[in-house]
Amino acid sequence: MASHAKIAEHLARQLFKLSVVDGAVSAEQVGGVLAYVEKHRPANPVMVLKAYHRLVAAELAKGEAVVEHAGAVSDAMLAAIATAMSRQYGRPVVATAKPSAALLAGLRVRVGDDVYESSIAGQLAALALSV
Amino acid sequence: MSTVLEQIEQQIAKLSTKGVKKNTGNIRTVADGVAKIDGLSDVMYNEMVQFPAGAIGIALNLEEDEVGCVILGDIANLKEGDEVTTTGRLLSVPVGKALLGRTVDALGNPVDGKGPIEAKEFYPVERIAPGVVVRKSVSQALFTGIMAIDSMIPIGRGQRELIIGDRGTGKTTITIDTIINQARINKVGLASGDPKFRPVYSIYVAVGQKNSNIARTITALEEAGALEFTTIVAAPAADNPANLYIAPYSGAAMGEWFMENGMDALIVYDDLSKHAVAYRQISLILKRPSGREAYPGDVFYLHSRLLERAARLDGKGSLTALPIIETLAGDVSAYISTNVISITDGQIFLETDLFNQGIRPAISVGLSVSRVGSAAQIKATKQVGGKLKGELAQFRELAAFAQFGSDLDAKTKAQLDRGNRIVELFKQPAFSPLPIELQVAVLFAMQKGFFDPVDIRKVVAAATSLKSFFTTRKDALLVEIRTKAALDADLEAKLQAACEEWKSSFAA
Repeated sequence: MASHAKIAEHLARQLFKLSVVDGAVSAEQVGGVLAYVEKHRPANPVMVLKAYHRLVAAELAKGEAVVEHAGAVSDAMLAAIATAMSRQYGRPVVATAKPSAALLAGLRVRVGDDVYESSIAGQLAALALSV
Repeated sequence: MSTVLEQIEQQIAKLSTKGVKKNTGNIRTVADGVAKIDGLSDVMYNEMVQFPAGAIGIALNLEEDEVGCVILGDIANLKEGDEVTTTGRLLSVPVGKALLGRTVDALGNPVDGKGPIEAKEFYPVERIAPGVVVRKSVSQALFTGIMAIDSMIPIGRGQRELIIGDRGTGKTTITIDTIINQARINKVGLASGDPKFRPVYSIYVAVGQKNSNIARTITALEEAGALEFTTIVAAPAADNPANLYIAPYSGAAMGEWFMENGMDALIVYDDLSKHAVAYRQISLILKRPSGREAYPGDVFYLHSRLLERAARLDGKGSLTALPIIETLAGDVSAYISTNVISITDGQIFLETDLFNQGIRPAISVGLSVSRVGSAAQIKATKQVGGKLKGELAQFRELAAFAQFGSDLDAKTKAQLDRGNRIVELFKQPAFSPLPIELQVAVLFAMQKGFFDPVDIRKVVAAATSLKSFFTTRKDALLVEIRTKAALDADLEAKLQAACEEWKSSFAA
């Protein structure tokens, strides 16, 4: 017998598939899914919604380049990053700036699971691991 | 001082280049040395992943939206949400002669307090075993120094010979004896200056053993002067299961280096029962489907891919494997035992009853076999011990009948008498392997009936006396046996004369 967690994961995955239209998460579909869960109350709704949230968040992250920066980042640079990433992944990617003093200097761009590291903090971390 | 600054500057210059791309994920759960990770969409099977605080892991389960990793190293500091990155590399361990005389953990890090290991090369822990084309048949002997094995169940270089038996029957002792014997042969061979001599280096992999047992093994090897030719890979019982799982593969990688570089090596896996248990634990936590005795479906592949890496390569060296399996109540038909029996080229079965009767090593001749057989024996041993196994088997059969107490004819009595003497002759104390030339001399004396007049209870003492007679007074003859490796008429006459001489002195 499958565990509760597995059943919840399976349902969340089905709901997630319903939320994607033309390769992108549709706000309208997500609203519909939430309304369905509200109305029909599946078993372990919290577990289902948490798993659904994780899947939607991971999908949304693929279309967003979070640019962490220690210094100033111009709009032109953000636009250039968005263009480069869109070309790289073959899908529209939007760049958003996120100040992070912990980087010391440089940039860190995160698109989904991929991280492009060009910061002093990242280089120091690599140095620490290699010692 | 300027050199130091230059080194730092070079390192900074290297780091100041363009940005690097990493594929990352986040820990969802950590339990018993296994982590479930969200993300890591680019990770490859068996790829090494980097956890925070220096711990590393291996990706074993690639699922739709999560990755299951075993963690090697300290898991105490890992928590949910920690970032994990791919490395694009397979797990590798240091290899080479720098590891000889050292004790390392499953990742090749020194644990003996003798400082860092200056290894120049690294080999991946998981490797595809050599194929059919590059292999050569086993035809060179690997002497264990144990008379019962070398004469009846010979082991060749490149062979896989299983050592199986209940706990406390002397399985580890046989392997330690073999390692000590290799070291002794190496010393003699290297001192002789013979350019054709090929030393055998040893690797002892301790899986799931008590630290005190590992320490005892190291001490035994050190006292016998064998540690300088040996590497010990220690994954004690207190280690996390991932280290126990990976340790035999690390040892195999270290052995492969010798094999690939035209040298011979011997590897002992002590023991694969505990290895299978560690893998079962990992598999159950990874939620892989379980089968018989809760082992996962690929437990056969776990050991077959490990033991297939032992081979004799054409134009290169060899790697001989001595895996150990612990049985429960002498049951050789258990799951893991039958798996490993079917993978290896023979087995040495040790019996508790024999051990308790004082027959040590407690080798059951009937259940032990070497599928490579006499191809891995020198001619001299074949000449003096070729019929021993058959004689002993006959003796066991007759002994069983003799228990009924019926009257026995003279021929049967003689066979029983001879069998008892052979059993006594094969008794050998731990950590005292016998050189092959001395084995030949003792077996020659046996074959020619020199022990027949000796009382059965005194056969061990007589054999000891014969050995000391040969080592102290007939050293030249022993050297001749060793170099010729076969008994010609001249050598047989000399042996006969020497045995006569011993007989008169022993009787006196």
